[in-house]
Amino acid sequence: MTRTSDFNRRGFLKTGMAASSMALGLPAIARAQSYPEGNINVVIPTAEGGGADRNFRAFTSVWKDKLGTEFEPSFFPGASGRVGYELYMGKSEPDCYNLIFGNMGPEVLNWAMQPPGFDIDDYFYFGQVDKDPCCLFVGAESPLQTMDDIIAASESRKLTVGTSRMAHPASIGLLALGEELGIEFNLIPLQGGKGTVAGAVTGEVDFSVLTSGSVIAAGDSVKTLLVFGNNIVGEALDNAPGINDAYGMNLPEMLSARAFGIHRKAAEDFPDRYEMLSRTFRETFDDPRLMEAYLANKGQPEYLVYADAEECAAFMKSMLELGARYKTLLSGA
Amino acid sequence: MGDTTTILIEVFFETMSYWWVILPTIFLGLVVGGIPGFSAANTIIILMPLTLSMSLEVGLIFMVALYCASRMGAGIPAILVNIPGTAGAAATPLDGYPMAQAGRGQQALAISFVASCLGGLLTTIVALMTMPVLARVGFYMHSVEMIVVMLFGISLIASIAAQDMLKGLIAGFLGLMIGSIGTDVVYATPRGTFGFLELYDGIPLIPALVGLFAVSEAFVIIEKKLIITEKAKAAMATPNWHATFEGAGLALSRWWHIVWTSLIGLIIGVIPGAGASIASFVAYQQSRSFSKTPELYGTGHAEGLIAPESANNGVTSGTLVPLLVLGIPGGATAAIMLVVMQYHGVSFGPSLFEDSPKVGYGMFMAMAVSYLFMLLTILPLSRYMSRVTTIPTIYLAPMIISFTLVGAFVPREYMFDMYLALAFGVLGYIARRTGYHVAAILIGVILGPLLEKYFLWSLKKSDGDIMVLFSSNIGNVLWVCLVLSLVLPIVFGRIRRNKARMVTQ
Repeated sequence: MTRTSDFNRRGFLKTGMAASSMALGLPAIARAQSYPEGNINVVIPTAEGGGADRNFRAFTSVWKDKLGTEFEPSFFPGASGRVGYELYMGKSEPDCYNLIFGNMGPEVLNWAMQPPGFDIDDYFYFGQVDKDPCCLFVGAESPLQTMDDIIAASESRKLTVGTSRMAHPASIGLLALGEELGIEFNLIPLQGGKGTVAGAVTGEVDFSVLTSGSVIAAGDSVKTLLVFGNNIVGEALDNAPGINDAYGMNLPEMLSARAFGIHRKAAEDFPDRYEMLSRTFRETFDDPRLMEAYLANKGQPEYLVYADAEECAAFMKSMLELGARYKTLLSGA
Repeated sequence: MGDTTTILIEVFFETMSYWWVILPTIFLGLVVGGIPGFSAANTIIILMPLTLSMSLEVGLIFMVALYCASRMGAGIPAILVNIPGTAGAAATPLDGYPMAQAGRGQQALAISFVASCLGGLLTTIVALMTMPVLARVGFYMHSVEMIVVMLFGISLIASIAAQDMLKGLIAGFLGLMIGSIGTDVVYATPRGTFGFLELYDGIPLIPALVGLFAVSEAFVIIEKKLIITEKAKAAMATPNWHATFEGAGLALSRWWHIVWTSLIGLIIGVIPGAGASIASFVAYQQSRSFSKTPELYGTGHAEGLIAPESANNGVTSGTLVPLLVLGIPGGATAAIMLVVMQYHGVSFGPSLFEDSPKVGYGMFMAMAVSYLFMLLTILPLSRYMSRVTTIPTIYLAPMIISFTLVGAFVPREYMFDMYLALAFGVLGYIARRTGYHVAAILIGVILGPLLEKYFLWSLKKSDGDIMVLFSSNIGNVLWVCLVLSLVLPIVFGRIRRNKARMVTQ
């Protein structure tokens, strides 16, 4: 009887609450254990068919097996990537089923020029797929065939230099070079990699600066003279020296670095899911199939370099600092 | 030379043996070219896994045939229902649609097909023979020269305005103002975007195109039972081949017109970054300027249809030249071809014709064979395609709006673009009802941003010196040509009128 009397209203409520909590909690646990239950949507803030598309397909062709699900890309290249970040990633659920595959170089630099409509801390990059140093190159038929030619020619006139867009790490590399050599260059934004290569080849500009992957793809039509970082591919970039070696500078590498990003809220609310994403991302780099897929997509194997969330954050911070430093020159403000 | 001839003969027969790839691809290309928003470029991207799994030869032939057929396909809805499938076909409805409205859709299609195929075939052969020379065009046509080329196209506004100067110029300037929406090409400063991120890259062309032409047309045609008159419908009740032969004959009798307008397309096509929309407007403007009957343009004149169709197919072969010879893709489709070919280990550029001559010549041969096949297989279809114009508007108008809204959505996949197409539809409807020419608005929207781009690049290169516009010899020759092309038609017109007056006296 006593035991029966112990099972009073309060006890009933306590037990009920515990049971309810378990009932409600269990599916959550089950969900976490079964993550991912569906495809992972990936916003790509650049156009289909470009370098990001190729790298994405190569990387996810292996990562999907580690994670046990498919990756579904959507391409939103508008407004230098801002449409992808603000309209599509911004409106998607922060549940670890929505990622962004961005470029920590030009895209982050763009935020330093024109602050985006979102808090840049809302997202963070948790895994770098590859990094690609920027370089300076001339057309195969250009009268300027060495850096000495460029320096000599710039004494008599202001040389025009093609760049993909003003807010680009390659532009910063060139401006830093100009500062070091006391030369003023005239940057001409030729709207994308294709235009930048064409500008140098056809003589629209005296020479161009761009990410080296696109320059390598242009083949014999161009000749690389200087790398705004380390030339780790040698012959593919015509054995051009790194800027720091050539001019005794201490410039950080000017890179295009593609990485997967996620809502910060998603990583905080679903730590187990985030752990699975970042762990399988890391494991993908250990799989030899990744290199095969990367090579099949014409990637430079040397550029396939893993970096974790901490390293990505440091890279992003350095880009924002560089952007702030060169904002006047790059934005015309 | 002997080696090259042998290779060309070998490649021709090899390409012909792939008829089983070319024929279905032609029909696929016609369909994707005819649907606004779809193009060879995004179809190749969608089918990328399939394309990559094909052998090099098959993949190459597939892409080239799709490219040619989609270019020609874009003209079909432009003629029949006033919906240009791509910006390259934007000048086609100016004379094609009035022909269709007059019940001569079958002739118009035949003219378009013959002009497209012969223009494409001719420019392919010319490109094949003069590739090294043509590839040099891009070395001489820089931003300064391109400003003048743009002005050739934009001066078409003045021709259109000639019918009602004030309204024509207002429409043209409105188009130029709309075209300036978006971020500037130098510092990416947003202008007139009203806070919409979707407008940062400028007004998207397809929603503007389908809105101004197709949606507004749907609003207009819903007010009547048919696109064509009852009399024309009665004449079309008994389908026959005569109209097809008549159209083909009209085109063939103007073979010289096909030749020179397609060559305009070829030359513009080899300039990296220039494209079919520029070529078709420039060709139309030139055709009208030197015509003996300029007053007939815009009323369903055969030459007004031949010029843009020959030119935009001339661009197709032109874009391959810088890709093959320099490794620089001349347009979006060529850029995707570059990606696919690189996957197969082919490197474009100066060494292509030494390392893989069959690939280099093979691409042009695939183009030539595709145009031959198209001429034989598509021309007879004009008889059946033209029946679209006999569909009652209560069915046709909703279909046009549905297709065009989907088409507006496809290129960028933004819902915003569907609303934009509707907004342009309303603008186009008001313009039509108040006597403003939508083509003048559209020319401003399409060519305005390109003119601004080249103008700002030139100014940036010269540190703001406006005299840069006259700093190039080729540019100065083009300026003279531009002035002549605007003045001479007036002079010739006066001479003709004087002669006519003397005869009547």
